[in-house]
Amino acid sequence: MKCLICGRETVTDLCRYHAEAKQKVRAAYPLWVKAYGNVEWNDFLDNVKRNPQTGQWAKEIAELLRG
Amino acid sequence: MSSGYTLVICEKPDAARRVSDALSEGESRNEQVEGTTVFRFDRKGEEFVVCAAQGHLYGVSDPARERTVYPVFDVEWYSSDLVDENSTTAARRILTIRKLASGASKFVNACDFDVEGETIGYNLLKYACGGKEKIALRATFSTLTKEDLVKAFDDLKPQAGQGLGLAGRARHAIDFIWGVNLSRALSQSALGSGHRYRTISVGRVQGPTLGFLVEKEREIKTFVPVPYWKASGTFERDGVRLIAGYAKDRVETRESAEKIREECLRREAVAAAMRRFTVQVGPPVPFNIGDLQKEAYRAFGYPPSRTLQIAERLYLEALISYPRTGGQRLPPSINYRGIIQGLGRITEYSANAAELLKEELKPVQGAKSDAAHPAIHPTGEKPKRPLQAPESAVFDLVVRRFLAAFGPSARRELAEATLAVGEHEFKLAGGRTVFPGWMKYYGRYAGYKDIGVPAVSEGDRFRVVGVALDEKFEQRPLRYNQSSLLEKMEREGIGTKATRADIIATIVGRGYVSAESMEVTDLGLSVVETMAQYAPSIISTELTREIEDKLEAVEGGSGDQAELLRETLRSIVEQLAELRTNEETIGREIDSAVTASMTKSFELGKCPFCRTGNLRVIRSKATKKRFVGCSNYSSGCRASAPLPQKGTLRTAPKPCELCSWPIVYVMGGRRPWRLCVNPNCPGKRKP
Repeated sequence: MKCLICGRETVTDLCRYHAEAKQKVRAAYPLWVKAYGNVEWNDFLDNVKRNPQTGQWAKEIAELLRG
Repeated sequence: MSSGYTLVICEKPDAARRVSDALSEGESRNEQVEGTTVFRFDRKGEEFVVCAAQGHLYGVSDPARERTVYPVFDVEWYSSDLVDENSTTAARRILTIRKLASGASKFVNACDFDVEGETIGYNLLKYACGGKEKIALRATFSTLTKEDLVKAFDDLKPQAGQGLGLAGRARHAIDFIWGVNLSRALSQSALGSGHRYRTISVGRVQGPTLGFLVEKEREIKTFVPVPYWKASGTFERDGVRLIAGYAKDRVETRESAEKIREECLRREAVAAAMRRFTVQVGPPVPFNIGDLQKEAYRAFGYPPSRTLQIAERLYLEALISYPRTGGQRLPPSINYRGIIQGLGRITEYSANAAELLKEELKPVQGAKSDAAHPAIHPTGEKPKRPLQAPESAVFDLVVRRFLAAFGPSARRELAEATLAVGEHEFKLAGGRTVFPGWMKYYGRYAGYKDIGVPAVSEGDRFRVVGVALDEKFEQRPLRYNQSSLLEKMEREGIGTKATRADIIATIVGRGYVSAESMEVTDLGLSVVETMAQYAPSIISTELTREIEDKLEAVEGGSGDQAELLRETLRSIVEQLAELRTNEETIGREIDSAVTASMTKSFELGKCPFCRTGNLRVIRSKATKKRFVGCSNYSSGCRASAPLPQKGTLRTAPKPCELCSWPIVYVMGGRRPWRLCVNPNCPGKRKP
């Protein structure tokens, strides 16, 4: 099986790097909600994707989750 | 009295010339022996012949020397030209030393007094001189000045440095066995999956070092920033405005940040008493090689390997002491006063030197000591030729650090004031140097800036003019640069002061990281991930550090190098078995990473013509010459450009600002050459 994003060999749909990035994107969401008071999931993903500090794999995950 | 002469073996030709000049009072005669220059002279009624190696003249290899075969546990020492194609003069120099040894009755090892120098000398005495390693005397010195060399030869020691030699030979054997087996296992795995041969190396120290880089890369690429706010207030009193930061550096939520603004605006701030206090800042400790490399990177941006090369040149010209030292201590035996008097004869340092010479000379000392060498220091000799800019920069840094070590502590006055608005506090902070002390000698490298703080008295009342809320995001971690990676290796206790810079250069050279940004490539990731999965000890810091500790015990005479070699073999055998079992899977993983990294290395960037294709380096089948072409050629894009035919190409991160074509660095000469590949770039037009 190949990673949905980068094509690396993997046993699930994401390689270990993108799986780690996905877990970090999910973990960041409640922190953003707390910081802004309220933020929609899709807005959060758009902002993560645009933010210059976001890592490349995390950006790719945000893109994938945004669909 | 024996009839033969004393044969002196030095590590490099420049060192041999200095030794003969110092001992012969300039009366030595140059001779050619088997095409190599040697120096002959009489000293105190004895005849001396001084010859030189050129670094290592012997190297470790396996007798079969077949790069597809592993495991390899049987290693032997060979003339370097047989194991390293770049070593072109080894055979000739060995022949010279062999011939000279036949007429010698006494032997002196005058190579650099450290593990590598001892190994070079030991091997030459053992193999080229026919088993003279046990009877040879040792000359030990830390600078190539006449004074130090004469002292060393008046006090020759039997058997000094034997432990260093044994440890050095053990280190070479272990590193060879380790590197050759694992690298061949990986290279063969990739070859087995159909890719053409490419060396994929994993050295004993290289593995964990690459592991540090990959760990950081994962942190960076999976990083998700979290927002926070910074608040600052603008205050006014008697028409004077000042800005102060909120006492709490980071406000976690927008609601809290807005509450601060709400509760402060249109209110009055009251100043608490300004706190002024003086702190003493002691001088920085004398340089060991790691400190010098870090400081040269900070001050001039030189990679560690370059600083080491420059420092070695300065050492061979007797301008500074032996640079490959771990010591941060300056013993009185180096003659502080003599060195500073010498520096006083160099215009740039004369005023500083004169000032220091008025006082008692007592340098600050660092915590690390090196049994063989003091901290890096100038010798007090004046350069006999105009130094090139990088040499001059490193020399200046070494001199100023040395002078600074004798300076008194500096004093800085720090000031802090608090402006309170109800329960909220804003801070003003600054500082200035009130007594420069050692900073005067260290000059621009001291790096302390003065930041003024407006005078504020207790009870002063200010109008709050505004409160600014700045939305911020956490910063992703920084990649290692060559200097911080060297520091990490030092902290983790892997590698030696002599090898760390070379290991970093190898990691770059193998294409595991990009040279410009140190970003780990797919190949680097793949090598570490493969090792982590199938042979985790190879990239673990623990095993490498454990071996380093045992090698140090051998150096000190308390360890057994034969037992250490056996232990290392056992651990390699276990790892290799695991790699062999999974050869096919490993091969597939590495193969796809190699392909990805090769594709990337030939892609230069987006095509500015068609805007959808990529410009690539293509080699013409007809002329065999390389040029730039677009990946959309088959769809009609005719963007193309010539390229220099020599040198490695590396793509710059950003395209040309004038024409949007890619920029490449052409490596191969002394310095990389920056080139916009567009032959019609406006930047290339003559005015």
